[in-house]
Amino acid sequence: MTRADRMLLAVAAALVMVLYGVLWQPGPGREAHILSAAGKPLQLDLDQARTVTIPGRLGPSVVEIDHGRARFVASPCTGKLCIRAGWQQRAGAVAACLPNGVSLSIGGGDRRFDAINF
Amino acid sequence: MGHRDGSERAITASAEDQRIAWLAALAITIHAAETALPTPLPGVKPGLANIITITVLVTYGWGAAAWVTGLRVVAGSLLLGTFLTPTFILSVGGALASLAVLRLAQHLPGAGFSATGYSVAAALAHMGAQFALAWALFIPHPGLIYLLPILLTVALFFGILNGIIAARLVRALTDAAPGHAPP
Amino acid sequence: MSAALRRASIVPVCAALLLTACTAPPKVHSRSFLAFGTLVEVTVAGVEAEQAEAAIAAVEREFQYMHRSWHPWEAGALARVNELLATGEWFSVAPSVRPMIVEAGRLAEASGQRFNPAIGALVKLWGFHQDERPAGPPPAAEAIAELVAAQPRMSDLELDGIRLRSRNPAVVLDFGGFAKGYGIDRTVELLRRLGVENAIVNTGGDLRAIGSRGDRPWRIGVRDPRGEGVLASLETEGDTSVFTSGDYERYFDHDGERYHHILDPATGQPARGLVSVTVLAADGATADAAATALFVAGPESWPRVARDLGLARVMVVGADGSVHLTPGMARQVQIEDSTRAVMVEPLP
Repeated sequence: MTRADRMLLAVAAALVMVLYGVLWQPGPGREAHILSAAGKPLQLDLDQARTVTIPGRLGPSVVEIDHGRARFVASPCTGKLCIRAGWQQRAGAVAACLPNGVSLSIGGGDRRFDAINF
Repeated sequence: MGHRDGSERAITASAEDQRIAWLAALAITIHAAETALPTPLPGVKPGLANIITITVLVTYGWGAAAWVTGLRVVAGSLLLGTFLTPTFILSVGGALASLAVLRLAQHLPGAGFSATGYSVAAALAHMGAQFALAWALFIPHPGLIYLLPILLTVALFFGILNGIIAARLVRALTDAAPGHAPP
Repeated sequence: MSAALRRASIVPVCAALLLTACTAPPKVHSRSFLAFGTLVEVTVAGVEAEQAEAAIAAVEREFQYMHRSWHPWEAGALARVNELLATGEWFSVAPSVRPMIVEAGRLAEASGQRFNPAIGALVKLWGFHQDERPAGPPPAAEAIAELVAAQPRMSDLELDGIRLRSRNPAVVLDFGGFAKGYGIDRTVELLRRLGVENAIVNTGGDLRAIGSRGDRPWRIGVRDPRGEGVLASLETEGDTSVFTSGDYERYFDHDGERYHHILDPATGQPARGLVSVTVLAADGATADAAATALFVAGPESWPRVARDLGLARVMVVGADGSVHLTPGMARQVQIEDSTRAVMVEPLP
């Protein structure tokens, strides 16, 4: 292997690494946006499995994140609509506990657009 | 194909020509065998036949390498029945890109590359071109871009591997035909 | 790189830097909040952060007020109106409701009763009157038939100044297919009063855009009704409301069949034949009501109803996934999915 060979290999390896970084970046779609009337907006990576507790008007709502999707698992409202909405996965999908003032939406509106209609 | 000293000879195959023809046949065989390999993207191959291209490049020059590669692509596709199919287009694209890059690499100032370096450059160009063609012509799905880093990693790996094998092959050839210095 | 080359490069590099200083990035502020029974996102451009924040907060308060006022059943102005309509007596109609009645009446007439907010009782029968998703099964055919036979219509209402009465006790007002648009129009007026000329008000996907982003028009994407990606994209020119009615928004499944919330007033059943209707119009109220009306009209009649409503820009997705555009829509919109069958339907 000549010196030129080694330099080329280094550059090629670096290029491939960069491509992984750039192209495999978790896009805006892979984030859960959690809004609460009581606190600051949260943005959570959907690829990291965890549960979060969000304080709301009536009490704490609990959101579970797992493998690219998220859902409400507990909430102090009476209707439990938010929980019945189930897993949210599609970009732009929304589940909300209106009485508690907590909403969960999946980010990922194409960055090309200022707003998405559906 | 002219002789190096520019003189005209009767058309008798020299030892060099015979060797190149033999290598071309080997390239076609490898090309055919490659179709048995699984691939994430139809028509995209690791380019094992590039071993021959590199070997010929280092031993006999770019012109010979271009000829062998062209022959491999066309004859290989006729043999496999893929002539003028999408696979053929990808094959041609990959080959053209590799040859172009090799030509450039040969003319870079400085000490230059050995078989391994050429092989890596050719492999990346080959895979890059095949991906670009597949994406532009056959599968314009935006999600395809996620495959690119993987494909290039595979190309890099095979580029190094092919280069090592090609280097061995070059040594074997120069040992078999002493007095013939690589260009 | 030779010294001469390096020196020469300084010129273009400096020029590039200077150019970036000339074009300042646009000021765009955006906030999402829960209101009006959905997730609302307000985007404001061309004003400083403080003014944008104050404007957005005012919009939030306005939505909360409207939601309380207009709920057809929960205690509020509209619920009270419904109670009084059932009596058949004259009464004074709440000022927040009166203009809606007038506007809705006009649109109901123009759409041939396909947009009919007087069928609140039918909506309640199906269970689509509340935020909660109904559990099914679908209501009994007799119950549906009875309500349909009563033929409640906006034209059954008599308005005399601020006094209102209904000639038909079956009329129950549910502005579900219209309130978002009307509400957005009110908040847009509010934004203008507050000095904001460039904004997007987006309530759960239905939106109105005014002005531009500053450096370019607003870019709106219309989502594929059956998928995740964007089906069509457009750039706005002036006031543009983009409203989509679809069979995927509110529904329940029962015995393998899907029952969605866009009821055909003539049959009392969910309207069939189309997957989604997207309407572009200047104001939200028209776009909202029209999207509902055209969905009810179905694959055969929608072009005619669109013409009657004075619409030029409509996009319709059929049950087979094919996309149909009016010529006006085809000019403004770009279909992002190249595999779709796209047809341009001239209006009659």
